[in-house]
Amino acid sequence: MSRRAALITLLVTVTVAWGSLIVTQSLGTTPRLGLDLQGGLSVLLEAPPGTDPEVLDKAVEIMRRRIEALGRVQEPEIAVTGLRSIEVQLPGVTDPDRALEAVGTIGQLAFRPVLEVSQFGASPLLLDAIEYEQATTTTTTTSTTTPGDATTTTVAGETTTTVAGETTTTTTETTTTTAAPELPDLTPVLPPGITICDPDQDLALQPGCVDGTTAITLSDDPTKEAWLADPDTGEIFHLAPAQVLGSDLADAEAGFIQQGASGTGVPFGVSTGGVGQWVVMLDFNSEGAVKFQEVTKELASYSLGDPRRRFAIVLDAVVQSAPQMDEEVSPEEGIAGGRAVITMGTAGTPEQAARDLAVVLRYGALPVVFSQPTVESISATLGSDSLRAGLIAGLGGLALVAVALLLYYRALGLIAVVGLTVFGSLVLTVFALLGQYQGVSLTLAGVAGIIVSIGITSDSYIVYYERIKEDVRAGRSMRAAIDHAFRRAFRTMLTADTVSLAAAVLLFILAVGSVKGFALALGIATVIDLLVAFFFTRPAVALAGFTRWGEGGRFSIRGAAGAAKEAVVLPGEAGK
Amino acid sequence: MSLLRRLYFGQTHFDFVGRRRWWFALSAVLVLISALALGIRGLNLSVDFVGGSLVECDNPAGASVADVRNALTGIGQSAARVQLSGGGAGVRVQTGELTEEAQDQLIATVAAVAGVTDLNQVSYQTVGPTFGRQVTESAVRALVVFLIVVAVFLWWRLEWRMALIALLEVLHDLVLTAGIYSLVGFEVTPATVIAVLTILGYSLYDTVVVFDKVHENVAERGERHTISALVNMSVNQVLMRSINTSLTTLLPVGSLLFVGSLLLGATTLREFALGLFVGVAAGTYSSMFLGSPLVAVWKEREEHWQRIRRRLGRKGAEDEFAARELEVLPEEEAAAVLPTATGAVPRPPRKRRRHR
Repeated sequence: MSRRAALITLLVTVTVAWGSLIVTQSLGTTPRLGLDLQGGLSVLLEAPPGTDPEVLDKAVEIMRRRIEALGRVQEPEIAVTGLRSIEVQLPGVTDPDRALEAVGTIGQLAFRPVLEVSQFGASPLLLDAIEYEQATTTTTTTSTTTPGDATTTTVAGETTTTVAGETTTTTTETTTTTAAPELPDLTPVLPPGITICDPDQDLALQPGCVDGTTAITLSDDPTKEAWLADPDTGEIFHLAPAQVLGSDLADAEAGFIQQGASGTGVPFGVSTGGVGQWVVMLDFNSEGAVKFQEVTKELASYSLGDPRRRFAIVLDAVVQSAPQMDEEVSPEEGIAGGRAVITMGTAGTPEQAARDLAVVLRYGALPVVFSQPTVESISATLGSDSLRAGLIAGLGGLALVAVALLLYYRALGLIAVVGLTVFGSLVLTVFALLGQYQGVSLTLAGVAGIIVSIGITSDSYIVYYERIKEDVRAGRSMRAAIDHAFRRAFRTMLTADTVSLAAAVLLFILAVGSVKGFALALGIATVIDLLVAFFFTRPAVALAGFTRWGEGGRFSIRGAAGAAKEAVVLPGEAGK
Repeated sequence: MSLLRRLYFGQTHFDFVGRRRWWFALSAVLVLISALALGIRGLNLSVDFVGGSLVECDNPAGASVADVRNALTGIGQSAARVQLSGGGAGVRVQTGELTEEAQDQLIATVAAVAGVTDLNQVSYQTVGPTFGRQVTESAVRALVVFLIVVAVFLWWRLEWRMALIALLEVLHDLVLTAGIYSLVGFEVTPATVIAVLTILGYSLYDTVVVFDKVHENVAERGERHTISALVNMSVNQVLMRSINTSLTTLLPVGSLLFVGSLLLGATTLREFALGLFVGVAAGTYSSMFLGSPLVAVWKEREEHWQRIRRRLGRKGAEDEFAARELEVLPEEEAAAVLPTATGAVPRPPRKRRRHR
């Protein structure tokens, strides 16, 4: 390697390594810490054999929503691992019990008749309350009628006319400006059995309660009325207690009804008859079939376009879909035979919509009961203790190795020490970037992997340096020895690092949990080791060979290689 | 010239192959002891493998093991295993599988004895009995696949005999490590499994470096020496590297061990470091004292090497042990024996001027 090429390569490598570390650190991109280093809750959930992967994805989605609803969880990680396990990692969770409940319980599917629909992003209950407040203020100012209990019957629902809906719409238009500053009191319009949620208490102990400000049901109870939203359409529904449950459903499947094919059931979706459209076919069990027929009879008695002709499908407190009874469905017969079809219409992506809905229904029909093979809660102090211990051990190990290399290889040792900082900078940068863009976190096992890789990378230096010593002793000139030794040593490093890398890759693919984190750190470190050997060590040693460091005294390469007599003589000479 | 000096300048000539019977016997005895220990004492498996609960928290009250045990007997958990970590700064309690209520009670009791008021500051772990089996199964599967891949790689890169011997060494190191865990009663945790997997890496890495050197020496001066001599020469050449690598590996591992036993929260690090310490030592030993002589013995039977041995014998060159030959080949024999005899390596005049 020529002096010029060596110098350029060396400068570029060192600039890239240290520069990238400084840049990432100053931009605040630090490695993302794993659960065991910052504290938190880790749960592995296992579904029974034969669980549909799509249903597993649905479960993950539900868990994620519930965890987000808990708040204060930074970056929860919920992912399907293996064939039928879900790994839940919740860093910084302070209340493991609530979090466990959120991921551990099953989402319930219910079919609820619709009582009211609001398109305005506000709960019908809230609108009722506003209307009630207005009515009472009118009572106090003008002393005219409209008593409060009239409004409450509107809420209770079943027997009112469509006029109720119209009145609500008009009142919102007038009240949005006036009543916005202070939220209306929900208490007077609450139906019996429904309470306002007490945020200080466990939601599970307050079934059916509604949020005091948004008037949305927080704790869904199928036996009580509920005010729930469909996030896709923005509609907020006032729903009657569930009439049919997920357990009444035997199966559901998405399908495409070909032109001319006879329907497999009576459609209860959009009223185009289902031919040439994407549909979801539902299959009820015998008990469900009876219940379903009863409800559909009742629903069909309302005229087309009335919200009460709609039947909402609710999974885990979210309205998934609320199709309307088709016009063919008669109030006398309902949908009989335990089979029904939901037609998806043609708007948007009906195929996707049909498939999604089928998954929701299947999830509800056969709820997955997860077992929890392992639960781990790490307190924040234990996490930070571990991090501190890892850092101290890592820095201490690095310092010891540096001292050993310096003592043993002298000038070459100094190069190795600088090389270790280049190596360390690159490893940190890679982990910072992986954490930022890939969500990879650094666990305690990963830290252990990095500490171990200090050994691997110093071995690369040792292999190379021993070769140089050997070649110098064999009588090669310094420069020839340096070049020749590198070619030989790099071959050895390549072979040995291939083995390490193979181990890391295989472990990463095949192992679970902490072993994976270890494998990742080891693999990254191995690759960086080779890069550092080629782009740092080679030019650095080559450059040293051109200077006094190559042929100088006790500290030089020659001095370390074994021409010891020279080194012994020199100090005496210097003293003269 | 002292042994240290010769080591430092890579001018040792230990007869590794010649004394192979001693090493083979030593390995056999160690493996036998390990196997017996494993068979009789078994391994001390952690909660991750056998299932159960582990509660861990700070110990501001400075409770002793007896204090904790007394409190646990009060709630019917007398069978629990109690340990102090971080030199008494932390408490670890391990029990069998518990119901949810029993676990809450356990957490509350341990926290009370240790003087921790905020229950969220208590770390705990519950593991079902099947989880550990899964971890073990996945680790063993990874291990087998890894060994096969490595064997194929070594076969391609070196030769099949060396691949087979490398696997044998790995097995030897694994048995020894497991044996020491069993004898000393260290707890086997997932961290230990990681350590063992790392040992595999190291053991193979070490072996590859030695075998690579043998391979190279055979290519360079194959016709002039017997295989035993070449192997001896190679091991002596990489001896310093092996010692240095073990040293630079053991330094960070020792640092882990030291920090791990002093600081709270580093028990994972400690378990990891213990396994690694034993394994690295075993790996270095086996690649030099077990694997290399085996290669020599096995290859000595090959037709090619038999022929070379006969030819060398006819020429009267008795070089069962050719590490000395290596010293003659370069010009340094004199320099090695007589430290005052300079001359062997020409010194550039530039540097002398500088020191005047």
